[in-house]
Amino acid sequence: MLIKVEDLVKSYGELRALDHFGLEVMEGEIFGLLGPNGSGKTTAINCMLALLKYEQGLIEVFGKPMSPDAYELKRDIGVVMQNVAVFQELTVYENIDYFCGLYVADKRLRKDLVEEALAFVGLKDFQKFYPKKLSGGLLRRLNIACGIAHKPKLLILDEPTVAVDPQSRNKILEGIQKLNQGGTTILYTSHYMEEVEQICTRIAIMDKGRIIAMGTKEELKNMISSGEKLTVEILDVDDSVLEKVKGLPGIASVEYKENLLVVKSQKGKNNLVALIDYLKSTGIAAGRIYSEPPTLNDVFLEITGRELRD
Amino acid sequence: MIFWTFLFPILLATFFNLAFANLFNADSFSEIKIGIIDNEEFRENTSFVTAIQAVSAEKGNTNENSLFVVTYTSKAEAAKLLAENKVEGYIHFDGGPELVVKQSGLNQTIIKSFLDDYQQLSSTITAIIKENPAALQQGLLANVFERVDYLQETPMGRGQPDAMVIPFYALIAMACLYGGFFGLKEIVALQADLSPEGARVNVAPIHKLRLFTASMFAAITVLLVEILILLAYLIFVLKINFGNQFGFIMLTSIVGTVTGVTFGAFIAAVVKTGEGLKIGIIISLTMTMCFLSGMMYDKIKYIISSRVPLLGYLNPLNLITDSFYALYFYDSYGQYYLNIGLLCAFCIFFSSVVYLVLRRRTYASL
Repeated sequence: MLIKVEDLVKSYGELRALDHFGLEVMEGEIFGLLGPNGSGKTTAINCMLALLKYEQGLIEVFGKPMSPDAYELKRDIGVVMQNVAVFQELTVYENIDYFCGLYVADKRLRKDLVEEALAFVGLKDFQKFYPKKLSGGLLRRLNIACGIAHKPKLLILDEPTVAVDPQSRNKILEGIQKLNQGGTTILYTSHYMEEVEQICTRIAIMDKGRIIAMGTKEELKNMISSGEKLTVEILDVDDSVLEKVKGLPGIASVEYKENLLVVKSQKGKNNLVALIDYLKSTGIAAGRIYSEPPTLNDVFLEITGRELRD
Repeated sequence: MIFWTFLFPILLATFFNLAFANLFNADSFSEIKIGIIDNEEFRENTSFVTAIQAVSAEKGNTNENSLFVVTYTSKAEAAKLLAENKVEGYIHFDGGPELVVKQSGLNQTIIKSFLDDYQQLSSTITAIIKENPAALQQGLLANVFERVDYLQETPMGRGQPDAMVIPFYALIAMACLYGGFFGLKEIVALQADLSPEGARVNVAPIHKLRLFTASMFAAITVLLVEILILLAYLIFVLKINFGNQFGFIMLTSIVGTVTGVTFGAFIAAVVKTGEGLKIGIIISLTMTMCFLSGMMYDKIKYIISSRVPLLGYLNPLNLITDSFYALYFYDSYGQYYLNIGLLCAFCIFFSSVVYLVLRRRTYASL
């Protein structure tokens, strides 16, 4: 186990940011911490890094208690903060070299590490650029390079794709998976459920400073009663049809908006067969039909009654 | 930052130099234009002709002993020149020299003093020749011409007192304290609650004191190079007199630089506001200290040292200014060592407070 957090409590005045928070991150996994803005993800990360004081709880990294002067532990941790943390006065190369230098004293070794990090994030052509000349996506990549250049065993990424274009986002996510394949354990926080679903092997969903669900994405989806969502394109539907559809077996909810009939089924198999049979029998002409499996948003919605992005 | 710590002091020094150069020019002496009526009596008075030639310059060719530029002319022409203000007065020989002026003033007083001096000497010599011609053989004439100063000027220190150097010394002190920007930047970059870079630095496996020391050395080195360039510009380009004690000038520059950087670090660590406001505080405090050190109005320095001397000792910028002035002016090093000692005390105080704030290892919020 690389990270173990138990019963962590942290408050900002009256506001309880972490409410008996706990998690465990195993070696070799990409652990996702998913939650809406303000749910306490960054506070949890900052407590784990011994940056923030907390009222109670236990934090262990690499099996040892984490503290501000636990330099041996810090040596193997890489951090990519939510805010871009680079010096505007230094070039891309110099920034990576400076932050890598906080971990690696040997200049020759550091040179190789910086070159490797530059190549990894695709910034070789920009190494002499100053940060203000970089686009948002490239800046995020530089931010990542500064956190990974020293080749940490544990990499903590706090919302690394905020305000990043889709192309750079994909590149970043691919990079994280590649690092993981190279043996780095990743703790990844985000409020983008698609990203977490895409790359994380295990996920914890946070809300109001607590972990409300934890497991693989399949395990999480199995926790809820919702099944897949079926969308049918229909030109006109009256209320009696909607009522009848709602009464079909295995149907959880029905909604008709902008010529689309959206039907959510309950968990279980063949829940939508009855719907298709009904549509055929009534002679309602249907256009495109497509179905989507339940998402982490559905998990969050079912547990909290709110959307992830509310 | 480079503008405030490097270019701004150089620009200001250049402006000061231009302004003060004009002041000096305004005070400099230029020869007085006079007319002499070129009549027979004047030409026969060879002693006066010799005397006036000795203190006169040819037109367009002056020397440092010249008092007058003389125009030899007729009485009518002299009156016309005087009326048109082309001469300050004219001398007319009519049974002895007579001075004709249009108004009274400094130049007219100088012409009159010269004439009085001449008449006094010539009547003395005439009296000696008439009463005791033998005295001439005994060297009395030499005694008559000999001038004795009964008051002697004794300089208090190595240099002449010169209020004009104070603004330049205060300027260097200002540049030192503007080095506070470097100190501020370094502290902001070290504190997790002040910058994202600080957060990244705080998760690195390095002791805070080590980072603080390295940062301060870096800031001091950069500022010191800037201050030395400014010093070189003042000494070699603007020809400001700093005396010739290179070692002490260097020591003052180093101590001033350390004071400036630690002052900025102190403001950054103690004031709990945004970076912009901290910069504003550094600028306003520095400018206030500049004013109290005599950069804008040199008499304020005298007023403070005579009425509120404690304020002078509590002003690091004044202490730096005073150290340069003590080196230039005073003969002993007592005042200089006192200033440097107080500056060192300020550095220790600023650094200690900064370290007490920095050593905090975790934060309540980021």
